[in-house]
Amino acid sequence: MIARRYMHEYGLTNRQFGAVAVTFRKHASLNPIAQMRNPISIDDYENSRWIVEPLHLLDCCLVSDGGRALIVTSAERARNLKQSPVYIMGAGQGHPFNDPLQRQTMTVTGAMESGKTAFAMAGITPKDVDVCAIYDSFTFVVPMQLEDLGFCGKGEGGAFVEEGRIALGDELPTNTSGGLLSEVYIQGWVGTHEAVRQLRGDCGERQVPDAEVALVTSSGGVLSTHATLILRR
Amino acid sequence: MSEKGQKPSPRIDEVNRPYWEAAKRYELLLQKCEECGYYRYPPGETCPSCLSDKLGWVKVSGRGSVYTWTVFHQVYHPAFKENVPYAVVAVELEEGPRIITNLADCKIEDIKVGMPVEVVFDDVTEEITLPKFRPTS
Repeated sequence: MIARRYMHEYGLTNRQFGAVAVTFRKHASLNPIAQMRNPISIDDYENSRWIVEPLHLLDCCLVSDGGRALIVTSAERARNLKQSPVYIMGAGQGHPFNDPLQRQTMTVTGAMESGKTAFAMAGITPKDVDVCAIYDSFTFVVPMQLEDLGFCGKGEGGAFVEEGRIALGDELPTNTSGGLLSEVYIQGWVGTHEAVRQLRGDCGERQVPDAEVALVTSSGGVLSTHATLILRR
Repeated sequence: MSEKGQKPSPRIDEVNRPYWEAAKRYELLLQKCEECGYYRYPPGETCPSCLSDKLGWVKVSGRGSVYTWTVFHQVYHPAFKENVPYAVVAVELEEGPRIITNLADCKIEDIKVGMPVEVVFDDVTEEITLPKFRPTS
């Protein structure tokens, strides 16, 4: 429902949604622990069966079992640990109407509010972000959140992802692990874990050179709740 | 309780009973907050706008337009196997709330965002009448 409304209001296309799926799968092919590593093309995307139109199978995240753990402690304590620490620069939350159907607008996520809070706390702007991990339960929520976070204007997310600007080696490498669409579906842990790996320089072939600042988002309900985290090495 | 092969029925309770009883009379009723005037859907116990619990029921126009829609291809319940692909539509009523529904007398390829529609009633069982919508010219 939200995807169709987004297409209606801003003219996004299925091929633009598909660009997200193809890009993240390419990233996953460089991630040895990703669940889906075989590359896909935009034709594979378009030929994948409809689940609920306008969403194809390859618009939808994976189904996975798995676990991740993060240790959060003081910067002082972290200095004495074996692993190099990653610092929290900013965090924010945004929780629009619980029922997406009755929300005044369906096409703005809580990332607009949570992003503003997190950027203000971190004292940086979107231009300072080296790598992103955007909650990708479905392809279309990626351009929507990139807009709401200020990486591009509202309605420009489709062109932004289609031009490959979220790919490794480009302007804003996003979901470099493959994300929920191609690495694994263990919700907010996936993005936070990949951001930490990038900032520690642990990403091997998919490493973003000199990654210093990472932005992570997570979402709950039906785009009902949202959180943004900004990390630095 | 629905058997396998039978479509699930709306669960009628003390809060939503007026909605379903009205549908049987071919009337569309919505809850309206007596404090702030907010029309609430789906039925609930408090107003999401001002948190008042003084919600009354009022008859509404039954007119609205298609706000967004999807087409189900995946069979999420065995009773819908013969129905796929079928459209599920969000109709924005003139009074404000959006209702999840199906369209009557409309092919999938003819559905458009903004299309004007009006309520019709479908007696699906002896107990349940579903409000659906059909295009108006």
